[in-house]
Amino acid sequence: MGKLIAYRLLFAVPQLLVIAVLVFSLTYLVPGSPAAAMLGSAATPESIAQVEAQLGLDQPAPERFVDWIGGLLTGDLGTSFRSGVPVADLLAQHVPATLSVVAGGMLVALVLGVGAGVWTGTRPGTMTDRVVTGGTVLGLAVPEFWLGLLLTSLFAVQLGWVPIVAWTPLTDDPLGWLRGIALPSITLGVTGGAMIARQARAAVVTSMAASYADTLTAAGVSRGTLVVRYGVKNALVPVLASAGVTLAILIGVSFVVEKVFSLPGLGSIMLSGVIAQDFPVVQGVVMVTAVLVIAVNLLLDICYGLINPQARPQ
Amino acid sequence: MITTSTSPLLEVRDLCVDYDVGGALALRRRTLRVVRGISFAIAPGETYGLVGESGSGKSTTGRAILRLTDVSAGSITFAGSDIAGLGRTSPLSYRRAVQAVYQDPAASLNPRHRAGQAVTDVLARHGVTDRAERRRRAAAAFEQVGLGNEHLTRLPSELSGGQLQRIAIARALVLSPRLVVCDEAVSALDLSTQAQILDLLRERQAETGVSYLFITHDLGVVRHVAHHVGVLRAGEIVEQGTTSRVLDSPSHEYTKKLLAASLSPHPAGRAARRAARVAARGGVAA
Amino acid sequence: MRTAFRQPSALFAVVVVAVVVIVAVAAPLIAPYAPEAKDFTAPLSGPTSAHPLGTDDLGRDLLSQLIHSARTALLVAVGSVVVAMLIGVPLGLVLGYKGGWYDRIGSRGLDIADALPGLMIGFVVIAILGQGMAVLILAVGLVFCMNFARLTRAITLTERNKGYVESARVSGLTAPRILFSQLLPNLAAPLVVQAAVFLGSAIKVEAALSFLGLGLGEEQPSWGGMLGFATQHTADHPEMAVAPGIAICVTVLAFSLLGDAINDSLSGSRRLRRTKLLGRVLLDDDTSRTRDDQATTADETPVTRAAGTAEEPSGDLVLALRNVDIVADRPDGGTVPLIQNVSLTVRRGEILGLLGESGSGKSMLAKAILGLLPAGVRLAGGSITLNGSELAGRTPAQLAALRGTGMGVVFQNPQANLSPVHTVGRQLIDVVRAHDATISKEAARTRAFELLDLVGVDDPERRLDQYPYQFSGGMAQRVAIAVALVGEPDLLILDEATSALDVTTQAQVLDLVLDLRDRLGMAVVNITHDLGVAAETCDRVAVLLRGDLVETGEVHAVFDHPGHEYTARLIAAYPGVDDESPRLGTHDQRKVEHA
Repeated sequence: MGKLIAYRLLFAVPQLLVIAVLVFSLTYLVPGSPAAAMLGSAATPESIAQVEAQLGLDQPAPERFVDWIGGLLTGDLGTSFRSGVPVADLLAQHVPATLSVVAGGMLVALVLGVGAGVWTGTRPGTMTDRVVTGGTVLGLAVPEFWLGLLLTSLFAVQLGWVPIVAWTPLTDDPLGWLRGIALPSITLGVTGGAMIARQARAAVVTSMAASYADTLTAAGVSRGTLVVRYGVKNALVPVLASAGVTLAILIGVSFVVEKVFSLPGLGSIMLSGVIAQDFPVVQGVVMVTAVLVIAVNLLLDICYGLINPQARPQ
Repeated sequence: MITTSTSPLLEVRDLCVDYDVGGALALRRRTLRVVRGISFAIAPGETYGLVGESGSGKSTTGRAILRLTDVSAGSITFAGSDIAGLGRTSPLSYRRAVQAVYQDPAASLNPRHRAGQAVTDVLARHGVTDRAERRRRAAAAFEQVGLGNEHLTRLPSELSGGQLQRIAIARALVLSPRLVVCDEAVSALDLSTQAQILDLLRERQAETGVSYLFITHDLGVVRHVAHHVGVLRAGEIVEQGTTSRVLDSPSHEYTKKLLAASLSPHPAGRAARRAARVAARGGVAA
Repeated sequence: MRTAFRQPSALFAVVVVAVVVIVAVAAPLIAPYAPEAKDFTAPLSGPTSAHPLGTDDLGRDLLSQLIHSARTALLVAVGSVVVAMLIGVPLGLVLGYKGGWYDRIGSRGLDIADALPGLMIGFVVIAILGQGMAVLILAVGLVFCMNFARLTRAITLTERNKGYVESARVSGLTAPRILFSQLLPNLAAPLVVQAAVFLGSAIKVEAALSFLGLGLGEEQPSWGGMLGFATQHTADHPEMAVAPGIAICVTVLAFSLLGDAINDSLSGSRRLRRTKLLGRVLLDDDTSRTRDDQATTADETPVTRAAGTAEEPSGDLVLALRNVDIVADRPDGGTVPLIQNVSLTVRRGEILGLLGESGSGKSMLAKAILGLLPAGVRLAGGSITLNGSELAGRTPAQLAALRGTGMGVVFQNPQANLSPVHTVGRQLIDVVRAHDATISKEAARTRAFELLDLVGVDDPERRLDQYPYQFSGGMAQRVAIAVALVGEPDLLILDEATSALDVTTQAQVLDLVLDLRDRLGMAVVNITHDLGVAAETCDRVAVLLRGDLVETGEVHAVFDHPGHEYTARLIAAYPGVDDESPRLGTHDQRKVEHA
C-alpha cells in the first residue's frame, strides 16, 4: 500500500508541473498584449507599459516562469490586477465555500448514485429499474443552476426553511453552515448522483451476469449475500475509478451554482476575473482547483487500490 | 507435392524479441524477452508447425516474421535477403510475398465492409488499378476457397465462421504469396469446419506451392498439416524435426509431456494414459 | 432500425429535436415580436395576453426571446460538437493507432486534463479571447474534445489488434488508408451516438456560461441569459425561471434520448439479426467458437444404446431429465426452440459427457439444470429431477434451497468464475457460511483451507489471502472446483471448464476431476465441444446437435461404433495426435470422406 501511495505522489508532481506550465503560459495566448486587453479602451502606451512591468511581461519567459513557480511554492500567487489584493488572500477567503458545497455534493452524489445503481442493477428490466433509470437521465438533463433556482424558490422563498443568503463559515456556526450548504449540496448531488448511478448500474448488471454469480449461486450463496457483498463492491470499482472526474465536474458546476445561492466561493472571483481579464486571479483559481482535484484523486486512488487489488503495483 | 530444396524460403536465426513492460510512469525502460534466440527454416512449398502453450512466444515469432513487431536480435532471411532490419515499413514486395490468417474469424474482416472489399483493397494497394479487374480477381479468389459470387457482397455479420475464415484465406492468397503465417487459424472453429479449412489450406498448397508457418497450440492439428515441427516453450525451441520424428519419438521431456497431455479421440487405453500422467507427476493424482 | 424508434422515448426525442430545429430556423416567423423590441409600457409585466410569458425590465417579450434562444442554443451546440470532434477524433486516432510513446504521453495528457473541470477550460478560453460567438463555440468545444479523444482512442485500441487491421498492415496498406478506410467506419456509430449526447451537454454548458454572463451578451437572447435575469427576480417574478428552464431540460433530454435511440437502433438491427439466428447459433454461451452452415440436421430419433439409459433403479439416479424443452422468447411474441425433447440420466459416481458444437444448446441445458436460465429463456416443458425432487416450475427460493447442497458448477473462463475484487478465501468462506450459518470464523477458514488442499492448490494458507488474478488459469479452475465442492454436492456440472486451459493444464484439471469423482463419488456432467475431453474422462456421452439429442451411450460403444452420422463425422474430423489415418498427402482421400 505504501508503494501505491508513493507511486501516486510521484505521478502527481509531473501532473502539477504540466498544469503549472499551462497556467503560466495563459498570458502568452492572449492575442496582442494581455495588458492592453486588461486595460481595455482606457489603454495608453504608458499604462500598458506600466501594467506589463507589473505583470513582469517585460522580462524573458523562462525567468518569469522560475519566479512564478517560486512564488507558487511560497504561497505568493501575485496580486489581483483589479482589486490590488494578493491572490492568495482572495483564494483563502473563497476556498471554504467551494470546498464545503463540493464535499457535500459529492457525498450526496455517492449515496444517491451507488444506492440507485445497486437498486436498479439488481433488478434490470423491471418497472422500478425503468423509472429510476429514467430519473437519472432526467437528472443529467436538468441544468444544475436551474435546479438550484427551483430549490431556492421552493425551500428558501416559499417555505422559508433555509435563509436565501445562507453562507455561514463552519467555524462560526456548524449548524448554520450545514443549513447553508444543504441546498447547493443537493443540487450538485443530483447531477453527480445521476452520473454515478449510470456507472454503478452498469457495473452491477455486469457483475450479476458474470459467471461467478452463477458459480456462487449454484454453490449455495444466497442472492442477498451476492447483492450486498459482491454486487456493491464490484459496483464501486468503476465509480471510484472515475470519482476524480466526477469531482472535477462538480467543482466546475459549483462555480455556476454558487451564483444561485450567493455563495462566496471560487466561482465568484473566477467570474469577475474572467470578465475583467484579471489573469493573476484566473491563474490562481485554476491552480488551486487543480491542486484540489489532484489531492482528492490521490485519496481516491488509494481507496481504489483498497477495493481493486489489481490496481496495486506489484 | 512436397518440394525439397537446399535453399530455404525463410530462415530464422537466433531470433530474439523483447516486449516493453515499463510501468505506467515509464520512468525506466524495462523489457521482457519473449522470444529467446530461436532458429528454424521453412522450405518452399512446406508447412512448418510451431507448437506451444500460451505465453510460449509462438504468436510473437509470427508477428516478427510479419514485421509487425521489432526484432531485438538475430536475423530473418526471406528468399535470400535479411528482413529483420527493415523496420516496420517493409517494402511492398515483401508485403506481397508474406501474408497472414488469424484466429478469430469474426474479427478477421472489417465489420463495415462487404466481404469482397477485403480482397479488392489488397489488390488496389498492389497495383491493380482497374476496378473491373479487381472485382474479377476477387471473384476468382472467392471461387478458389469454395465461395460463390453471392458472398462478395455480404457483410461479415451475415457469414458463418467457416465462411469468414475462407475469405481471410482468399485475401491472404490473392497476391500469390510465397509464405502465409497461419496464427491459430483453425482454433476458433468447430470441429467439422476445422477439418474443411485444413483441407482447403492443403489443397491451395498443393496447387500453388505456398509455404505455411502454422502456429498452434494443438498437436493434433500439427500432425495433420505440418511437414516439420518446432516445439516452443518459454521463448525457446526445445525440439524440432520432421513431424513424424518429433511426435512419434520425441526426445525432449517437454514434448513428451505435451504429447501425454494431448487428448486422444478415442477412449481405448485411457486408464493406462491416466496412470502414465500420474506417474509422470511423481505419483500425485492431479 | 424502425423498431428502436417505435419506443416512446425515442419518438419523444425525435419530435422534440425536430421542433427545436424548426423553431430555431423559423424563429423570426414564429416569434410574436422581435427579441430586442422594447415595450416600455409594460416592463416586468408578468404573463399577459400580449406577452404570454411576460416581459423583462426593458419590456422585451420573453416568449420571443425564448424562441430566438433556440437558435443560439443549436448554433453553439452544433458548432462546438464539430470543433470537439475535429480536435478529439484525430487525436484519439493517432494515440490509439500509433500506440507506444505517443499513446503513453498522450494518455498522460488526457489524465492531466481530467484534473481540470471542463467548465473551467471554458472560462479560461473566454478570459483569453474575450466574449463572442466564435469564442463561445471554441470554449464549449474544448470542454468536450477530450471526451471524443478518449472514446476514439479506446475504440481504436481494441480495433487495431483485430485480425482485419493486422491483415491490412500485413498486406502493406498505408497507415492513413488503414485509419480512414478501415478504422473510421467502425468509429462512426459510437461517435454519432456520442455526438448526439454531447449536443445536449453543449446546450447545458452554453446555458451555464450565458447564465453567468459569459455568453453572448445582452443583444443575443439565450436560455441561460434569461435564467440569469430570472435569478434577480426569484422573489417578485418566480415564474420567469420556468419556461427557459423547461426549454433547456427538454432539449437536453431529447438529445440524450436521441443518442440512446441511435445506439439501440444500431445494436438493435444487430439484435434483430441475432433473433433470426437465435435457435442456431447465438444463445449458446460459447461465443468464442463459431459454427459453419454445413452441419447436418438431426434425425428424429436419438440413438440410444447400451445399458443405463433405460429406466434405472431410481436410488442410484442423481439427475434425470425427461422430455426437456427450452425456448427463447422473441420480442415479437414468438419463441425459438433451443432444446427439444431431451431426456438424460446421470447416476452417482458417473461422468456424463454432454458433447456438442457451438449452437447445440449444451450450455443452455446446463443453465436449465442449475435453474439459472437467463432472462428471456425458459423451460417450456418436461421434467428435471435432482435426487428425485422435481426442479421444473420451482420458485427461485425453492430452487436455492434444493440447489444448496445438491449442485456445483464451474464455467469456462477461469478468471470469471471468481469475483475479481474478493480474496479467494473470502469467497470460499462465504460459501461455507452459506451452508452453515453458525460456523465460527476459524472453522470456516479451516474448511476453506481443507478444500483448497483437496483440489491440489499448494500452500493453501497463503493462497487463501490472494485474489483470483494472482492465480494461473489452471489454479483458478481448481479454486472454482473447490467452491463448487463446499456443499458436498451430488452433482458437479463442468461447462467447458477446461476449454480455456493449455493442454498440460487441461490434463491436470481433468485428472483432478476423475480423482475427485473416485474419492467423493458424485455425479458429473461434463459439457464440452472437445471429443478428446469426452473420450478421456466420460463414462457415457450424449451428443447434442442444434438442440436435439442425437445419440447417447456408453463411451466406448459410441466412439467405436457411432450410431448417428453426425457423431461419426465429428469423430472422423478430430485431429488426434496419435491418429494414423488422415496424413499429409492423403488429403484428397480425406476430402471424399467428409464430402
